[in-house]
Amino acid sequence: MRSRRITLGVAAAVAASLVLAACGSGGGDDDGAKTGTLDFYTNKAAWEPDFDELNATSKTGVNIDLNTTGYSDAAQYDAFIRQSFRTDKSPGLFTWQTGPSLGELVDEGLIAETTDIWTKAVNEGWISEDLRNTYTFGGKQYCVPMNIAYWVMYYNKNIFAEQKIEVPATWDDLNAAADKLKGAGITPYYQTSTLFTFPWFQQMVAGTDPALYKGLATGEVKYTDPRIVSVMETWRDQQEKGWFSDAGSTVDPAVGLKQGDYAMINFGSFFNGSLDGAGMVSGEDYGMFVIPATNPGLAKTPVAVESGPLCVAENSSQKTLGMAYSEWWMSPDAQTAWSKARGDVAFNPKATVNDPMLKELGTTIAGGAYETYDRYYETTPTPILTVALEQFGAFIANPGDPLPFLEAIQAEADKYWADQE
Amino acid sequence: MTDKTPTAKTPGQRYRWSARGFIAPGVFLVAVLLYLPLLWTTFLSFTDYNGLGDPEWIGIENYVEMFDDPQFIGSVLNTLLWVGGTLLVPVGIGLGVALLTWNLKGGVWLRLPFLIPYALSGIGVAVIWSFILGSNGALDQALAAFGIADTPRWLVDSPLNTVVMILATSWQAVGVNALLFTIGLQSIPKEPLEAAKLDGATGFRLFRSILWPMLRPLTVVVIGLSIVASLKTFDIVQGMTKGGPGRSSETLALTMYRETFVNSEYGLGSAIAVFLTIVTLAAAILYLRQQLSSKNEG
Repeated sequence: MRSRRITLGVAAAVAASLVLAACGSGGGDDDGAKTGTLDFYTNKAAWEPDFDELNATSKTGVNIDLNTTGYSDAAQYDAFIRQSFRTDKSPGLFTWQTGPSLGELVDEGLIAETTDIWTKAVNEGWISEDLRNTYTFGGKQYCVPMNIAYWVMYYNKNIFAEQKIEVPATWDDLNAAADKLKGAGITPYYQTSTLFTFPWFQQMVAGTDPALYKGLATGEVKYTDPRIVSVMETWRDQQEKGWFSDAGSTVDPAVGLKQGDYAMINFGSFFNGSLDGAGMVSGEDYGMFVIPATNPGLAKTPVAVESGPLCVAENSSQKTLGMAYSEWWMSPDAQTAWSKARGDVAFNPKATVNDPMLKELGTTIAGGAYETYDRYYETTPTPILTVALEQFGAFIANPGDPLPFLEAIQAEADKYWADQE
Repeated sequence: MTDKTPTAKTPGQRYRWSARGFIAPGVFLVAVLLYLPLLWTTFLSFTDYNGLGDPEWIGIENYVEMFDDPQFIGSVLNTLLWVGGTLLVPVGIGLGVALLTWNLKGGVWLRLPFLIPYALSGIGVAVIWSFILGSNGALDQALAAFGIADTPRWLVDSPLNTVVMILATSWQAVGVNALLFTIGLQSIPKEPLEAAKLDGATGFRLFRSILWPMLRPLTVVVIGLSIVASLKTFDIVQGMTKGGPGRSSETLALTMYRETFVNSEYGLGSAIAVFLTIVTLAAAILYLRQQLSSKNEG
């Protein structure tokens, strides 16, 4: 009798709370404000001071300042944003990933369309048509680029000078440099077995054949394809020659390059900030070069580009304000200030970039000899990416026959693509 | 005889109604914060849901997928290693520390250092031990100073990485186990102990025949807590290896986190959560029932 009463009591309380929960869902109405304080959410907590620095410029430019909330854990941030769409607190501006993750939000109708902003920016010559494709879904544009970064090779200039090594112009030059460094007892390349396990794979696949790389992202090429296996075998041979740093090291990558734990590190052009922070001087202590293509027969050298979007939620109460900020964000004024605050290249060619080395990198890649491709991290569907990062990590920890690692990734890819049909 | 009217409530009835009034907020909070999420998670485990839009009912597909995944079995095995390891090391050493110090004058000063790490959070322990066990970390450098250069890759090779993480957890957990066992030892009545000593029982014989059986009520609690804690191991592994390299050191709690928050497969993640809840509850209930029902035999 008593237990039945308790059960009834609990059931009544659960029912009451379900009703409360149901009342809480649904979006808010756009309040239409065009100036004021915009609530901004980002998973780049470390960049919060840079966004705050920008407020001085945006205040005079469009009379909007950002109230930034930074998350440092990507998974936690992802869950927060997804859940916020179910409430009336969906963000007026937030960062996300390009590629299939953004496609998922667009498919659900959660993101405000930015086609007009893009058309204006492209017409003004503020942004390249290439980058537009990354932000296009079903012929329309969504979000604006928060940043772009090129994935290049950073090197310790002192080590290169001591060993009399020139900046490599071809893949063979690069291999010769690695051999020479190893011979002198210096580890050529940095690597890690957690998260950033993909850059070297990405570099060698795209450098062999950009179409092969793109095929992996669309499911047309299998990870067990003989050409992919061959890339992995080259990687394993390099591992066996001792070209890569200890994968389990917990030393900060920038500090490692500074103290000569390794001579080179393949990273995004935002790495300047970390190296400057570690006390190295751009152009003096460290330099950078675009990694030559593995296949010398390619007409243009492929360069990985990473771009993270700034998005406005369709049902946000700050939609108008978010769109006004996005429009301003594309302008040369905004991008000059942003490049200065972040110490990175700017997507807007009319913006001024202070660091001479970054400026040169931007102009070099904009020249005709290079073609950009989207970074592996963004272009690969999430479930496949999760498995791939783990498998590359396991391969880096214990390099051996590449096939079992590739088969594990392909098994996940088969499952993913079967679900998409 | 009292002169009450038929409609008036007795003091007993009034008491019951006010008692219900006092209980209601508590029941409501428990329902909202515990029962509701449990029901919601169980519901989600039968759906396909990416955190956007609405969950789509797919029956037991998530459970089939879960048991079909060889890596899931790997997570179960790692979790079992954690259960066994934390029973053997922190509980065992805790008991040892308690036995060696409980009778000593100033024994508290010997136990205190073991207790200090308990004040740290799991993630704090993970940070400290990553620094020690990382390749070319503090331990490797210390060993190199003694001329030992060819050290194992503590956090890279499996199952060594799980073993060293269990040891790191032990560093934190020994103290509290020692404290609990000491309380148990101190609550043993003096008379049987003295009688046993008069009969000539010392050392291991004293422990096996007198101390261990009399410690039993506490041992049951310590082991029960240890099993439940190790089944849900998350923070230290997430902090030290993130389940890697590959997924070699992943536990069930990490698999749940990976599917739910990294892959946004809320349905599959919920299925693992339900499985983990059932296993933990079953282990706790079976263990306690078995121990408590036979408490008079020991």
